[in-house]
Order: sequence, then structure tokens, then C-alpha cells
Amino acid sequence: MVNAIYIIVAALGAAFLLGLLKSEKRGTAYVITLFALSVMTWISAGWVWAFVMERAAPVDFLTGGTSPPFSINFRMGLPEAVLTLLASLTGLLSALYMKDVLCALGQRAMAVLLVAVMALTGIILTRDLFNLFVFFELAIISTAGLMLLSEDARALAAGFKYLIVSQMLSVFFLIGIIFAYHATGTLNIDGMATASLGLKAGGAIAFFFLFIAVVAELKPFPANGWGLDIYESAHPGFAAIFSAATSSAVIYAVDKLLLIGGAEWLPMATGIGVITFLAANLFALPQTNDRRLLGYSSIAQTGLILAVLGQRDILGDNVLYIAGGLLLSHAIAKAGLNWISGLVAGRELPDWAALRSRPILVFAFVTFIAMLSGLPPFPGFYAKWEMVRILAGEGRIALIGLILLGLLIEAGYLFRWFGYIIKREVPAQSVRCSPFQISAIFVALASGWALGFVWGELSNQYFGHDNLLLAIPVVFALTFLLLDWLPAWVKNSIAIVGLSLFFYLTFSDYDPLRMIFAIIFLIGGAVILLASYDSKGRRIGFYPATMLMFAGLILLIRATDTFGFFAAWELLTIGSYFLILRGKHSEPHALSYIIFSLGGAFLILAGFALAAQGAPLFNIDALAQLTQPLAPWVFLLLAIGFMTKTAAIGLHIWLPGAHSEAETDVSPMVSGILLKAGLFGLIVLLMTMGKQQLYGVELTYVMLWIGALSALLGNLMAIFQEDAKRLLAYSSIGQMGYALFGLALMNHLGWLMALMFVINHYIYKSMLFLSAGGVAKRTGTRDMYRMGGLITLMPLSFIATLIGIIAVSGVPPLSGFGGRWIFYNAIISSEYRLPMVIIFLAGPIAFLYLFRLIHTIFLGQLKDEYRKIKEAPFWFILPQMIYVALLLAFAVAPGVALRRVDTYLNQIFPGGGLQWTGTEISSAYGYWNPVAIMIIIAVIFGTLFAWLLFVNRKAQKVKQFNIVYAAERPYRPETTHFAWNFFAPYRKALGFLVQPFATRFWDGVTNTLHTAADISRRLYNGNGQSYAFHLLSFVVIAYLMRMGA
Amino acid sequence: MPFDWMKIPYSLLTLFIVVNYGFFLNALIQKMGARAGRRYGIPIWQNYVDMIKNYGLRSSITHGAMFYLGPVFRLSGGVGLLLFVPTIYGSYMFSNLSFAGDLILALYFIFFGTLGMALGAGESGHPHAAIGVSRGLAQVSTAELPFALAVFAVALQYQTLSVTEIVAAQQGGFLQWTLFTNPLAVAAAMLGFLGSMMRPPFDVVIAPQEIPIGPPTEYHSAYLALMQTNRAIFPIAKIVIYMNLFFGGASDWPTFFFKVFLIYLWSAFVGVVFPRFRVEQSIRWFLIWAVPLGILSIILV
Amino acid sequence: MTYIALATGFLLILIGFYGALTNRNLLRMIVAFTIANSGINVVIIAIGYMHGRTAPILDATVSAADALTRVIDPVPQVLVLTAIVIGVGVAALMLVFAYKLYERKGTLDISKFAELKW
Repeated sequence: MVNAIYIIVAALGAAFLLGLLKSEKRGTAYVITLFALSVMTWISAGWVWAFVMERAAPVDFLTGGTSPPFSINFRMGLPEAVLTLLASLTGLLSALYMKDVLCALGQRAMAVLLVAVMALTGIILTRDLFNLFVFFELAIISTAGLMLLSEDARALAAGFKYLIVSQMLSVFFLIGIIFAYHATGTLNIDGMATASLGLKAGGAIAFFFLFIAVVAELKPFPANGWGLDIYESAHPGFAAIFSAATSSAVIYAVDKLLLIGGAEWLPMATGIGVITFLAANLFALPQTNDRRLLGYSSIAQTGLILAVLGQRDILGDNVLYIAGGLLLSHAIAKAGLNWISGLVAGRELPDWAALRSRPILVFAFVTFIAMLSGLPPFPGFYAKWEMVRILAGEGRIALIGLILLGLLIEAGYLFRWFGYIIKREVPAQSVRCSPFQISAIFVALASGWALGFVWGELSNQYFGHDNLLLAIPVVFALTFLLLDWLPAWVKNSIAIVGLSLFFYLTFSDYDPLRMIFAIIFLIGGAVILLASYDSKGRRIGFYPATMLMFAGLILLIRATDTFGFFAAWELLTIGSYFLILRGKHSEPHALSYIIFSLGGAFLILAGFALAAQGAPLFNIDALAQLTQPLAPWVFLLLAIGFMTKTAAIGLHIWLPGAHSEAETDVSPMVSGILLKAGLFGLIVLLMTMGKQQLYGVELTYVMLWIGALSALLGNLMAIFQEDAKRLLAYSSIGQMGYALFGLALMNHLGWLMALMFVINHYIYKSMLFLSAGGVAKRTGTRDMYRMGGLITLMPLSFIATLIGIIAVSGVPPLSGFGGRWIFYNAIISSEYRLPMVIIFLAGPIAFLYLFRLIHTIFLGQLKDEYRKIKEAPFWFILPQMIYVALLLAFAVAPGVALRRVDTYLNQIFPGGGLQWTGTEISSAYGYWNPVAIMIIIAVIFGTLFAWLLFVNRKAQKVKQFNIVYAAERPYRPETTHFAWNFFAPYRKALGFLVQPFATRFWDGVTNTLHTAADISRRLYNGNGQSYAFHLLSFVVIAYLMRMGA
Repeated sequence: MPFDWMKIPYSLLTLFIVVNYGFFLNALIQKMGARAGRRYGIPIWQNYVDMIKNYGLRSSITHGAMFYLGPVFRLSGGVGLLLFVPTIYGSYMFSNLSFAGDLILALYFIFFGTLGMALGAGESGHPHAAIGVSRGLAQVSTAELPFALAVFAVALQYQTLSVTEIVAAQQGGFLQWTLFTNPLAVAAAMLGFLGSMMRPPFDVVIAPQEIPIGPPTEYHSAYLALMQTNRAIFPIAKIVIYMNLFFGGASDWPTFFFKVFLIYLWSAFVGVVFPRFRVEQSIRWFLIWAVPLGILSIILV
Repeated sequence: MTYIALATGFLLILIGFYGALTNRNLLRMIVAFTIANSGINVVIIAIGYMHGRTAPILDATVSAADALTRVIDPVPQVLVLTAIVIGVGVAALMLVFAYKLYERKGTLDISKFAELKW
């Protein structure tokens, strides 16, 4: 292997060489710069290869011919190799990226760039304290120099502020060095560590100054105003280096210092880290300038990594895996994002909508924010999982809470930004970029995915988890990224075949319970996808998102351990988020969806971690073995997490917008299919953990109440909607409430009823959403009162809606009645009377919104502007007709689906099941014969119909306005169609129940956060002197905390 | 399970008896109401005359398919409701088609006709029809509530959902009736009963004395005749359920006629005394007065 | 003697910091930091000083053999040399910045350069 010193030699040599060149030879100078950076990259890469592939041992390189402490030594180990590679590669790519600027400014700028990268590699490699100081100063000087590259005139002031702060820091650093040296007699870091500096006289204070000087370079809260200014005003090419390479190098320096300080300094690192992480993320919330936002995010991420380093006492060897995963994710993502920011003309976040003209950049952006948010399949996800698992195992719950809160806020502003990109108007100034710039971004993108794979493999190797990027459904979903150039119908066919094939290949794996979900997810998904044939063109981005969601869903039911379950959960969350975001006006709704979902996911993560008690691999079934006092808390966390997905009341506010604003074929997917994921989670939870008590409160009883209230309020809110799809969305809240109620009953029939709701809800809600979507597509509005009288124009849609509402309402003979019948039988054996009453209240209310749905759309008066519209497109009608057939079939023979589940449920709840004799179904209390009911009703109906046909055989259709209207002719259809505010008396009587309390509450929470952040961030008043004061106070406070502790 | 074909003529016989009794009772109650208001009232056979006239009318127009089907739904609902519940306790002949389902079937089948007719009325395009439906649904959603609660209290009390078994449990003297074993449930149910009989104070849905309003606005001739037939069957079918659940059922036809008459009279009795509520008033009234009774009955069972 | 030097050094550092925090003028701030830098240099020297020993220069008076007992620790002095060089570099850079800032706005008041904030 090449001596690591040559990394530094190459940079220094090239920098000197540049000085010798004439100023006209800029091209040559640029080539030399690139060459030097390439050499550095190549050497580092060689070392990475050696450590990873050949398992080489770390090597020390000596300078000055003697061994330490009499000379400076550089160490090259795996972390150093990776970090030098990161630094030099970032430098190389940024140099490529900044070609124009560098060539315009000449070789001096290039030399400064080389020195900067050299200084960073020096910080990483050196094991000598004073040498570390020198490299730090070099980094500072070159950073200030590179600030001058920026076109932004304000960068000057930022550079000066930076110098002020660094002057103070170098004073601290030197004090620390000299006292540490005085105490130990060596400047070698390892030497100091063995001499245990902290135990020497004055050693602690010496280390404090060292530590604080280096940590302050990480821009800890509140001493970080200067860092933000640099991020905001620097050239994005340099900001990439500053964010990716400088932060990483300094983090590593902190890591080295902690070696000296020992375990007693770890809490301080954690404290500073986590406070910085939270504060920076919070302050980023009201930020509108893209680069400053990136700065806040960078500061936050380094804070998080610092906090992780502070946990090395319990993380042990895993610290490399965790901190490394976070660090590399952060570095790559930030480098990439900063590079992209240079391509965008405007500085406001919505200006980034310009990226839409280049889908590859959008993909890069989304990759980067997924990496930052710790989403699968990127390293940050694996790191997050292991970190939380180990922390929970050691009982550091508060820290988990703070970290997850910070991550949630960060995901919030990052995804809000993504929403702007996808949904805001494309600004006039489009993206301008050179091939060099694109290739830099592309390298970051590729390395992000590659690292995702590497971390997956590591996770497989060390913890026995599956590599997500090797899971067949995920691979299948990602393949669509490569196929996105194909026309939509081809991709649609591939998707349908893929789903069906996967079901065909795996259907023997599932127990009857999972079978129901597998059928709904795979076959159900394929049926809904039929509607997607209606879309023309290429439909960029639709299929990767859809298939990612289905991949998550199917991995969810196939998961056996908590890791697999959680990974699947996040996958389906992301996939569905992209899907929901595609709706025309869904920007805010998709955002609230992802925030609620991620919040729920974090609770699940915490619950699983708590349950595992540190065990790397935790089987889901092992949840059953949990005992007091842990079990109820795990139950609580998981239950709230899953109920976020089923939109239980209070956590429901994301649902109406997300489901109603989604595209026509997406609404049935996210409503009919996706909601079932939450129910599946609850089923798994209740199946393993059963009833749990917390402070004497039966948690399933609380769930019963939540289910009942969801059913009541969901239904109640549905009846006041004017928007057809919103109405259906609210109705889903109610329906999920019923299912939740059934599960929480914790008896055989309750579960059977919940499963019946799972099936029924999939069928009729998919059908109704398609039907309403088809009508909306033809009429161009979703407001029901604008429609009316469409029955003659869209008869098939009407039939689907009619069958749908009969089924939803539970009126015999359709399958909804079966659900109600099982429901009554389930509650009759239950002790819980009061929540039952609430459910009773909810029941009849469903009729109100259902009638409104069908009446105001299809019946009443046809409007003039719709006289010529056609039936909904064939591909919308086809799945609806399939659903009609399914509903009728399921109504006559519910046993086909339920009988096996009924038997299976005997394992969980022995006894209390149904008897299936012939066509009759009976319970301990009552009986029901679906076939007989169907026949009797059909016969009566048929007979009467025939009779009426006979009597009224000459009936002829009259014109629309031929009605008895007090002897007048109605004026216009608009004034004659009674539709708007249909249930006005109901609102008068019960409207107080549907005040948007939950919405107000969550609005209040977000507003408070925003306001608090907006006020607090004024701390950074832009004055360099204030920043110096912040730094001084930071040092004093840290000192007091340290001495107090 | 082999089907006993004799059930069909037996059921038709029940139907025949009930239709005639229904026509008679409707007119009788109406006449009693009129007398209470110092009016003479209609002749007792008036309903027959109306029905025959309507079936005979030749003017036949339609507003569309659902308009056509509405009355069919309506009458199917009434007939089905009647036939899904055993009429005479202990009689195989008049147990009708109750083998198909239990109490829950009857409860939910009540809505079959309502829904169908509401759809038919909707297609007529007449705003008054839609207004009537809107009012009706709004009112019925709370009026049915005390009834549903009471029904469930009874089911809990007897631990069964089978109507026959509930009646069986009430045999052996009138003190065994639910009326005395669970008076709260019966009180709740009887208050709810008022809401579904289309009499004052809860008759704003069809507002019979004023401008033509309510679901049947556009219906005429044979359509209306079907609905009139239903008006004879439906109240009786519903009262049969009440009778079976709360008043010990009937083991022979005279008892049946007597109990049904008394239960029917209850709505007329209240109706002639009270003026009409607006919809939101009746919603509040049911929620404040009737529903708590139902809840109590469920909790105290 | 050592303590006097040490105290002087720290005093200079504090004076430097005080000056940097209270003076709004860029040039005054730079001067203040130079003072602080001098202070830290004094501190380093003071720490490295050993009573009764001579400078770490091997010549006629001090032979290599008895250096270990007669000279003071050379390392801090080396450090100071490096620190001075770096300090000069940074001070120069700061002056450049100050010059350019003055060019841009015609003022040396640091509170006037607060466009980047929040």
C-alpha cells in the first residue's frame, strides 16, 4: 500500500507547483489540481480496499525517523481510510463541480482548495495533538480563503466572523495543549490516553479546553451562528466540502480526543450533541433560505453523531457501524444537496421546483433526504435501528426520545421541501448545469445506494438481518426506476404480473390470517392496478412508488423478526408517501401523512427496541414473553404507532386530505389496502401480547374506547362533507374504528368481525373510491352538490356505488350485514357496555353519508354542463364490476374466506367461534343463513318487480323538469337539486361534536414549534461579536455543567 | 337443509292477514285521531278504495330506473321484515321464514326499504323528496337508537338473538314480559317507536297536512299503490318485533290483534296530544330523553 | 517568576478577549486577538520554563550529554514558534478580510455586517 503520508505530500506538492505556474496557465493548473486530488483519492481508496477486502491491520506511519512521542505519527486504519477517501473524493468532486469558479480565480484558489483538503486529511490521520492543532489552523485559514470563492458578497462577513471565532478557539486549543503536555509530558494522543490525562493535576481542565476547542468546531448550539453564515454564503461547491468533509474530519478529531478524556467525558459529548441536534432542527423549521436550511441540517446531523460518539460506552464496537452509517449518510447527502443547490437559481425553498425539469435530480434529492431522515435502505436506517436498540437495552429512554423527536422534525422540514419541489410552480429560471456538476451529483447518488447495500450486508453479517436491497419485492420495486422510460401500460402489466406471480409463488407460506392480508395486498393490489391502465404517457415515478409500497406491505406480513417488520413498515410508508404526493393538491396532506406516519413509525421503533432489551435479533413472537413492568409500555408504544396508520381518532387528521387528494387509482390503494397495514400491526400486537395493564388500566379497554369514538366521530364528520372523496375518507376513519373495536374486544368473534371488515372495507372502499374518482374525472369536480342526476349518463358507476353503499351500511343481503351480525354476536359476550353504546350511536349515522353520496351525485337534477359527459373510463369500470361480483359472492358465501380463519382463531381464542352447518352460520346466540336471505329477498323483490312491470308496463320516461312543483316549472337544475349542506338540521343538533379539535390541537403543536423556533433563532443576530459572545458563554456553561456534574 | 315448501303458502297467509289488518288498523287509528280532533275522519274502508284506485290508474310515467325500483324496494322491505320474524309464537304455520336469520337480520332489514325508497324518491329530482329524505334519515338515525339499545339490552338479558327464544323466555304470565323485567329498555324502545311511526310530534318528514313534501312527492298510480300496501304492512311488521321483544309475543291471532292495536295506539295517543317538532328538535329530544334510558337499560342488565 | 509570567499571559488573553468583545471596530478586534495570541504564547513559554535551566541550545556551554539535566523542555518553545507563525497568518488573513469589508461598505463597524442572520 502507498504510504499515507503521500496523501498529504501530493496535495502540498501540487499546491507548491501551482505557485510556480504562470497565472495564464489556468487550464494546466486545474489539471494538476484534479490530478493531485485524484492521487489522494486513489491512495485512500487503496487503503479502504486493503482494510475491507484484505482485512489489513491498521498501520502507523512515522515522520522524522523516530517513533512517538519524539515524532509525529500518522495512523491509517479503516475509519481513517474511509474518512480520507471521503474528504479527498469530496474535494475532487467539488473541484470538478467548481471548474468555472476555480479557473476564473486562478491557481491560488486551487492551491487553497488543495490545502483545505490536505488539512482535513491531516486532521484525520495525525495522532499528535499539536499537529492536530496545526492542521486545524490550516483548515481554518483555507476555509476562510475559500469563502472568497463565493459570488455572494456577504461571504466576506461570514469569513470574518469565522476567523473571530477560530481565533478564540485556537487560544483555547493552545491552552489545552500546553497544560495537557505539562501534565503528561507527551503530545501524542495515544500517549496521553495511556498516561490518563484526566487523573493528573490540572489534567481535567486541560482536557476541557482541548475538548471544547474541537467540539466548538462542530458548531454546537448556541455557538454556531458563524457556521450557518458560512453555509449560507459559501459557494455550494465549497459548502459541500465544509459540510461533508470538514464535519467528518472534526468529528473524528473529537473521537480521538475522547480517547484521551475517557468515559467521564462521554455524557458531555452526548449532551452537547443532542441539544445541538434538537435546537438546529427546530430552528430549521421556519427557515426559507435553502442553503441556510442545509446548514442547520448539517449542524444537526453532526450533533447527532457527536451524541452517538458520547454513547460509545454502551455502543462498544458498534459505534463504528452506527456513527459511521450516520456520518457517511450525512456526508454524501449534504455534499449532494449542496451541489444541487448550486444548480438552482433561486434561494427560496420553492425555487427548487426547477429540479422537476430533470427527473434524475429529483431522484437524487429524494435519495439524499431519505438518507438524512434515516429511511431504508440507506445506512442511516440501519444505524438508527441499532442505535435505538442498544440505547433501549441500556435504558437510555430519554435520549431515544430526544433523538427521535429531532429526527421527526428534520424529516418534517426535509419532506416539506420535497413537497415544494414536486408541487410548486416551476420558476422561470431553469436548472443550469455542466456535465461535471451532474457527474459529481451522480457519484454522490451512486455511492448513497452503494453504501445502502454495504450497510445491509454488514447488518446481515453482524446482526443477522436481511439486506433490504436484496429482498425480492424491493428489488422488483427498484427495477421500475430503470424501467421508467417505458410507457405506463407496459409497466402496469409488469406490475400486475409481478404482484400476481409473487402471490402464486408464496401463497403456501401464509397462515389463514396472513392469507387474508396477502390476498388483499397482492391480488387486491393487482385488481386496483387495472384502473391504472387508464393513464396515458409514461407516468414517471408512479410505479417505483407504488411497487415500493407493495413491497413494504408484503414484507410486512412475511416478517418474522422486529427488524424486518419495521423495515417493511418504513418502506411502505415512504412508498405510499410518494404515491399520495402525486395528487394535484396533495402537498400539505402528503406532508402531514409522512409526519404522522414517521412519528408512528418511531414509536414502533422505540417499542420494538424496548422489547428486545438489547438483543440484536428479536422474533416478533417473542413479544408474548414480555413481562411487567416492560410489557405494557411496549404495548402502548406499538399500539399508538399502529393506530397512527389506521387513523384512530385524534391521530386521524392526515387521512381525509391524503386519501381524497390522491389520484383516482391511488385513493383506493391507500384506503382499501394501505390502512390494512395498521390493522395487521395491531393484530400481530394483540396476538402476541394480549391484554396489558398499565397502572391498573386495561389497555385493550382504552383501545375499545378509541375504536368506538373513531367510529362515531369518523361517521359524523363524513356526513358533513361536500367533497365525495373526503366523505369516503372520513368514512374510512369510522370503518377502521369498527375494526379496531372488534380487535380490542379480544374475543373470537370480535376478531372475526375485524377480519370481515378488513375484507369488506377493501372491496367496497376501493370500489367507491374508483367510482367517485371516475365521476370526478368526468365532471372535473369532487364537490357533490355540483353533480346530480348522473345515473343515466354513468349507470355502471351508479351500480357500483349502489352496491357499495348497501354493503357499507350493513343492510341485508349484502356482505356488510355479515360484518354487523358477527359484530353483535361479538359484543353480546363482552363485558364492556359503555363503548358499545358509542358504537351503537355510530351505526345509523352511516346511512346519512351513504345516502348523501349516492343521491347528490347520481340522483336529483342533472346540470346543464354535464349533459354530454360519458360513463367513466373502461379501466375504472372494470375493477368496479369485479368488486361488485366479489361483494355478491362474498355475501352469499362468506365461509369461503372466513371459515378457515374462524378455525385458525381457535388457536388464539379457543371456543366462541361460529358453527358452519350447510349454508347456515350460527353462534352461541343467533343464526344467519346468507344463502336463504339472498334467495328470499331476491324472490320477494323479483315478484314485486314483475308485478310493477306488469301494472306499469306503459310507463314512459318524462323530462327532467316534469315534476310537481307547486304548479310551477323549476327555474334551474342548480336551484332545484337539493344537495348542498344536505344535513343542515343534523349540524344544528350535533355539529358541536365535529368541531376540529384534533386539527386545532396539532395545528397548535406545529405553530408553537414554529413560533418558538422563529423567536429563538433570532439569537443569531448576524453580529460577529455576538457570535464570539455565544462561544464564550457556551464554554462557560459547558464548564459549569462539567464541574457541577 | 331441505326446504319445506309449505312455508311459502303459510307465509303468504300471514302476509294476507297482516295486510288486511294493517289497512283496517291504519284507517281505525286515523279515524280515532280525527275524532280526538273533533273531526269525523275517513271511512274505515277508505284505504282499500285508495289502493284499488291507484292500482287501476292508467297514467303511468317514470323518472328513471331507480324511480321505478323505489317502491319495489320499499314493499320488499316491509314484506321481508314481516316474514323474517315469527308472527305467532309456537306456531309452525306462522313462523314464516325466520329460519333465515335472527333479530339482527330484522333490525337491519328495516333499512332496506327505507334506503330503496329514498333512492327512488331521489331520482324523481324533486327537491321536496330530497328534503324529506334528508329529514327522515336525520331523524331516524337518532330515533332508531333507543330502540337498538333496548333491543340489545333484551338480547343481553336473555343471552340470545333469536326472536323465538326471546318470546319463549317471556312465557308464563305477563309478569315475565320484558315490560316488567326490564322496564327501562321498554321505555326507551317505546319512545323510539314514536319516531318511526310518522305521527306527531315526529312527522315533519312527510308533513302530510301541508305542501306536498317528503319522499313520496312524485309517486302516483301503481307506484303509490305499492307504497300504500307497504304502509299497511310495515307498521305491523315493526310492531310485531316490539310485541315479541317486549310484550311477550302472541301465541294466537286474537292476542296478536289486541297487542298490535294497543302498541299502535300508543303512537296515535301521543300524536294527537303533541304538536310537531323540527328535525333538530326531535334529534335532541331523542338524544336527551330516550337514549339515556337505553344506555341505562344496557348498563343495568 | 513562572507564576508572574503565567499570570501575565492569562491577563493578556483576557484583555484580548475583552477587547475583541467590546470593540466594534474590525481593526481593534484584530489587534485584540493579537494581544490574546501574545498572551497564549507567554503562557506556553511559562509552562515550559524550568527553574535554573538554560535555553535548549546545544553549543559550547551545554553539551549533548548533559542536556537532559541542564536545558529546559524545548517542545513548548517549538510550539510557540509554530503558533506565532500561524497567528501571523491568521492575523494577516483577518486584515485582508477587514480591508475587503471596508472596501465594500466603507465602514469598519462589525455590527454593520449582519446581513446573514437567523
